[in-house]
Amino acid sequence: MIEVKGLVKKFGRRKVLDGVSFSANKGEITCLIGINGVGKTTTLKAIMGLTPYQGGTILVDEAPVIKDTYEKITFIPDAAIMPPSMTIKEAFEFMDDFYNNWNPGRAAELLEFFKLTPEMRISELSKGNTAKINLLLGLAIDVDYILMDEPFSGIDIFSREQIANVFTSHLIEDRGVLITTHEINDIEHLIDRVVLLDNGRVLKEFSTEEMRSSEGKSVVDVMREVYMG
Amino acid sequence: MNITFNNRDPVYLQVVRYFKEEIAVGNLEAGQEIPSRRELAGMLKINPNTAQKAYKEMEEQGLITTERNFPSKITTDERVLSSVREELLLEAVNAFVEAVRPIKVPLDELLKKVSENYSEQENV
Repeated sequence: MIEVKGLVKKFGRRKVLDGVSFSANKGEITCLIGINGVGKTTTLKAIMGLTPYQGGTILVDEAPVIKDTYEKITFIPDAAIMPPSMTIKEAFEFMDDFYNNWNPGRAAELLEFFKLTPEMRISELSKGNTAKINLLLGLAIDVDYILMDEPFSGIDIFSREQIANVFTSHLIEDRGVLITTHEINDIEHLIDRVVLLDNGRVLKEFSTEEMRSSEGKSVVDVMREVYMG
Repeated sequence: MNITFNNRDPVYLQVVRYFKEEIAVGNLEAGQEIPSRRELAGMLKINPNTAQKAYKEMEEQGLITTERNFPSKITTDERVLSSVREELLLEAVNAFVEAVRPIKVPLDELLKKVSENYSEQENV
């Protein structure tokens, strides 16, 4: 489990995160939702140790984050990660050299799943295919937790569907997934938990199925209540 | 296998309902093997945890049986199978009666209309 407790992050005098607390379980897909600019990406970066924060604690499997923790987590940013001149094959070789826990079998399987070929060059990939390759590179590392920043943003509907299909497949296995998004429509049925973020705070955290069972509300219903008052 | 989900009812209950409908119309037969939880999640594009929950619910209701290391199967218990059809029918009749009651139609007129409509739709 990833636990974020009372996270505070300031950019200059502006508090972007003002005591953010939530958790993401292994074997579940947790979705961090917020209108743009509310600190979703900053939260992921803080978990990954990519940005300093001014208060709060982050625990992974009940232990404070240390260097070895990052053997358990990957972060999939929303921008291209690999140099544009590389082919997919070269990117795979790079990952294999760089990560001890790179899983070539799973990488090949994902490549087939997305109908991409090793000869394709990163610079020639469409926006949708770039998103798939980013996802692939992250998923092909054997880790317990995967953080994804806006995996669905700005790409075509078929690419979105393909990416959504990964979430329901064995390729995710029993790992814990934490994704940020501002669009929920494609994935409402796929996610286990929702954390609604606004103004640097968590406004609501809930299980999607429990919300449907107890209150008969969809995720969008709850978002409307919380954000539109 | 295809379900259009609504967003306000628990997804696992919608999956259970879908299986009941398939049993009632005979698309799923007694003793038939059903997909694994993971396969079902992929087919219906739902969370594997939700598929798991749907199967657990169906096991508790006696609709499916699972033996260790074997695929789950539709039950062969005829009582359970016929009660599924009965349950769906009763549910539909209840909904219809509830919808039609405010209109205050005499029962014999209503039944006549139902009978006419039912045979018309069959002929389409």
